[in-house]
Amino acid sequence: MANFSNAKIDRVMKIKIVLFLVVISMVCSVCIGCKKSEVELYDNKKQITIGATLLNMSSEFIVMLNNAMQEKAKESGIKLIVNDAQRNPEKQVQQVESFIAQSVDVIILNPCEVDASSPAVVKAKKAGIPIINVNSETRDEPTAFVGSRDEESGKIALEYIAKRLNGKGNIVIMQGFMGQAAQIKRDEGAKEVLKKYPEIKVLAQQTAEWDRAKAISLMENWIQSYGNKINAVFAQNDEMAMGALLALEQAKMKNSVIVVGIDAIADALKAVKDGRLDATVFQDAKAQGRTAIEIALKMIKKEQYQKETYIPFRLVTKDNIEEFK
Amino acid sequence: MKFKFSENLARYGLVIILVLLCVVLSLASENFFTVQNLLIVARQISINGILAVGVTYVLLTGGVDLSLGSVVALSGVVAALSARQQGVIIPIFTGIFAGVLCGFINGFVVAKGRVAPFIVTLGMMTIARGFALVISGGKPVSGLNSRFISIGSGDLFGIPNPVLILLAIALLSAVILKYTGTGRHIYAVGDSELAARVCGINVVRIKLFAYTICGAFAGLAGVVLAARITTGQPNAGIAYELDAIAAAVIGGTSLSGGVGGVGGTILGALLMGLINNGLDLLNISSYYQQIIKGLIIVGAVWMDCATNKWRIFQMQK
Repeated sequence: MANFSNAKIDRVMKIKIVLFLVVISMVCSVCIGCKKSEVELYDNKKQITIGATLLNMSSEFIVMLNNAMQEKAKESGIKLIVNDAQRNPEKQVQQVESFIAQSVDVIILNPCEVDASSPAVVKAKKAGIPIINVNSETRDEPTAFVGSRDEESGKIALEYIAKRLNGKGNIVIMQGFMGQAAQIKRDEGAKEVLKKYPEIKVLAQQTAEWDRAKAISLMENWIQSYGNKINAVFAQNDEMAMGALLALEQAKMKNSVIVVGIDAIADALKAVKDGRLDATVFQDAKAQGRTAIEIALKMIKKEQYQKETYIPFRLVTKDNIEEFK
Repeated sequence: MKFKFSENLARYGLVIILVLLCVVLSLASENFFTVQNLLIVARQISINGILAVGVTYVLLTGGVDLSLGSVVALSGVVAALSARQQGVIIPIFTGIFAGVLCGFINGFVVAKGRVAPFIVTLGMMTIARGFALVISGGKPVSGLNSRFISIGSGDLFGIPNPVLILLAIALLSAVILKYTGTGRHIYAVGDSELAARVCGINVVRIKLFAYTICGAFAGLAGVVLAARITTGQPNAGIAYELDAIAAAVIGGTSLSGGVGGVGGTILGALLMGLINNGLDLLNISSYYQQIIKGLIIVGAVWMDCATNKWRIFQMQK
């Protein structure tokens, strides 16, 4: 009996020790994390510091934007602090508040939301720190804006479809997450083009929430209800375009249907190169990121800068794919 | 006679709703009731179905697993990374292993640490998502080998592979829950943990088993999803846990444990899949789709509850 309970205590002890080690290692890693950012904070006083808060670091586009900014900052010897707002505007506002408290030289804001991220702009301007909006807008006007007009991407995509269809045919539209600025504006751009081509009919439009798996299901359902009537698919981002493509390929219909996406993510570029996807629209994350840092530098040096910079979208097809590697 | 009828109605309340929905959709759209479309619906529900069968184990013990969506993303990324080389077995194995690991940790902390399942699995939800992002570098993992991709897109005798996988794990789970000691103990623990313990059931072992198998199925779902979308997406599977839990609950599994089963869960997943498919076929606007979906789900569960109460009432008489 005593033996048994000893064994049991041993086991409990073992588990406790393991748990203890796990907790210790977690605490340690957190501490190391803290220390690093503290060092960054103290170093900043000597040099130019830019604080940036980005929409969501788990989105491929934002990762590219971040890489471009980091690269440019490194070249110019600037300290760049980047925070991830994780799609949470409230968090974003707090991050800007902490940038103000750290008295950074310029703040770069990649807004989560038009209205909800707006207080960040107001607070920065009130504190006398210039703030640059990258990629999307806020209700209150920032010191400078760098981005692209999302309507333009919808326009470019639809113009391409119209050209391929010779101005006549049936299309389906896969929308992004309903109510988001990108979805609304890409819709607007597309609708504007559609007005010019009365013989292009929209069979159906539906959201697949920017998601590839949802897009496969939606396309499968559309194939069931419209079959060969569909001539082209306009997907408001590449993830959904890839989903539509997979569903069409599985139904052995891809040869008769044109598929176009937006964003030019790596997967879509490869599909364009392989002749599977017809076209995508390139939004220049690199130029947006680099320009934002350039403008920040000009602000700090008190040079002239452009208040609004629009980086143009570009159509990517098999003919010019080599330029987008 | 009357008693028998009411009992049947209660047992098959959900089936009746499903049949009604099918009739309505067949009348509304000529493309609905075709073999091809029904196979497509089956394929579309397979991922949610696999997750829902897994979470049924956990729900039966009176727990909950909120980490499913993130575990799907993590195991999808892990499987995708190893599917860049040739081979099918290793990616499947690594994907499921990632799920098993997450599930085991969930189970361990819930059962041994006696921490509320809501909190433990909520923590795992962000931890697994974080690992998925770290491992993939925030970017989708693509370039998977074609044999791996066929797990999601291929078929056997005309039945899509994901559907076969769902059927296999559903059958396996039905047998485990109905005919094994472990299965009966899961119900006992969910019914009353104290009573189960008094009866000499090893509650810790049962809970550990439920969470681990739930994690394993989530890992499998991640593998199937990665194969279906031909990439491992670190952002995949957001809110999938809610659909899975909803499917189980629609199917009659109680959130407080001890009541339910795999058969109902599959019917629940089928109901959700049919609603999605039907609304798309009818080209109903995205805004209205959400409202209709919500109404049908709540309505179905309400009707199920009502028939259940009625049955108990009849039996007491």
